[in-house]
Amino acid sequence: MMDELDLLKKDWQSREKDLPKLSYDELYKMIWKKSSSIVKWIFLISVLEFVFWAAINLINYSKESRELEKEWHIQDLSTALTVINYAVLIYFIFRFYQNYKQITITDSSRKLMKSILKVKRTVTQYVWFNIGIFCVSLIMLLYGSLTYGEESAKIMEAAASAGNETLFWVMLIGLCVIIIGIILLLIWLFYRLLYGILLNRLRLNYAELKKLEF
Amino acid sequence: MNKDLEHKFVSELENNQNIVHKVCSLYTNDRDSHKDLFQEITIQLWKAYPKFRGDSKFSTWMYRVALNTAITLYRKSKKRVNTQDYESVIFKIKAEEYDETEEQQLKLMYKAVKQLGDIDKALVFLYLEDKDYSEISETLGISEVNARVKMNRIKNKLRNILNP
Repeated sequence: MMDELDLLKKDWQSREKDLPKLSYDELYKMIWKKSSSIVKWIFLISVLEFVFWAAINLINYSKESRELEKEWHIQDLSTALTVINYAVLIYFIFRFYQNYKQITITDSSRKLMKSILKVKRTVTQYVWFNIGIFCVSLIMLLYGSLTYGEESAKIMEAAASAGNETLFWVMLIGLCVIIIGIILLLIWLFYRLLYGILLNRLRLNYAELKKLEF
Repeated sequence: MNKDLEHKFVSELENNQNIVHKVCSLYTNDRDSHKDLFQEITIQLWKAYPKFRGDSKFSTWMYRVALNTAITLYRKSKKRVNTQDYESVIFKIKAEEYDETEEQQLKLMYKAVKQLGDIDKALVFLYLEDKDYSEISETLGISEVNARVKMNRIKNKLRNILNP
């Protein structure tokens, strides 16, 4: 095998003259084109994600919802949640920036892959945090509307008159779990697809290099 | 100042473009992908150039950026080496075992190398370029011992591909 590889080496080096040759002008034009690298896509996506979740937060939060929260007695809880949310958001902005700074193409391949995968990990954490906040808010709103909402008294009455209050609650909670489950599944699927496609090869390559660590 | 930098970079790239072409020929299978990858490596080189301090040779630095781009940053198209073709070639050679020419052998070797994974390809590439194990280990971020171990495994892999 050694001989065959050396044969290949000789041939490889003799092929140098057959390689294409680009002119100075052609190369000059090339340096101003836009990159389409994975890192760029990951950043575009994570920035979009960031904007998306932030927008949802803002849209959700109008004056009316503030009134409603007061009415439903969940104002304190909601405020606490918002504060936590923004504190964590700022933390993530900092982390995204840090990760971005750490990616240098001139590092060794292993180090470079490691930093890119770290970006993915940060994004994943960010997504799970958002999903968590989403679930907590949903449960909070549900609780508020059922306990203090205008319609809730009627609903409760109907449930009581039907004579089966326990069944009502079981069904309600079951329905909520199913809805939250479906939403989570969709979000999870979406991210798996998105980052799975982008990073699958990289993950394999990194595993390949990592295997060598004894 | 900026114009100087541009001029210096493009001139050096022009003189050393072979390195990039060679990486592209190893990591892509058709002309369009070759062009794409060449373009991407050029952009990455230019982006990293202000940080290039000249403590290593321009060519050494180029190897690293070019390989890192091919391995980690480049989004390959789905086109792969046609294994069917490849297998039929092997079969033919086996049948005519006695007049195996050097050229045919080389052809098979190239095809075998193309079938390797991204990392293995990088090792073979640096080996073909006559780089020593210290440079290989530095470029990939593994120890020299590991680079040797890996190279031996690749030789075995190639042997298996060539003599199934």
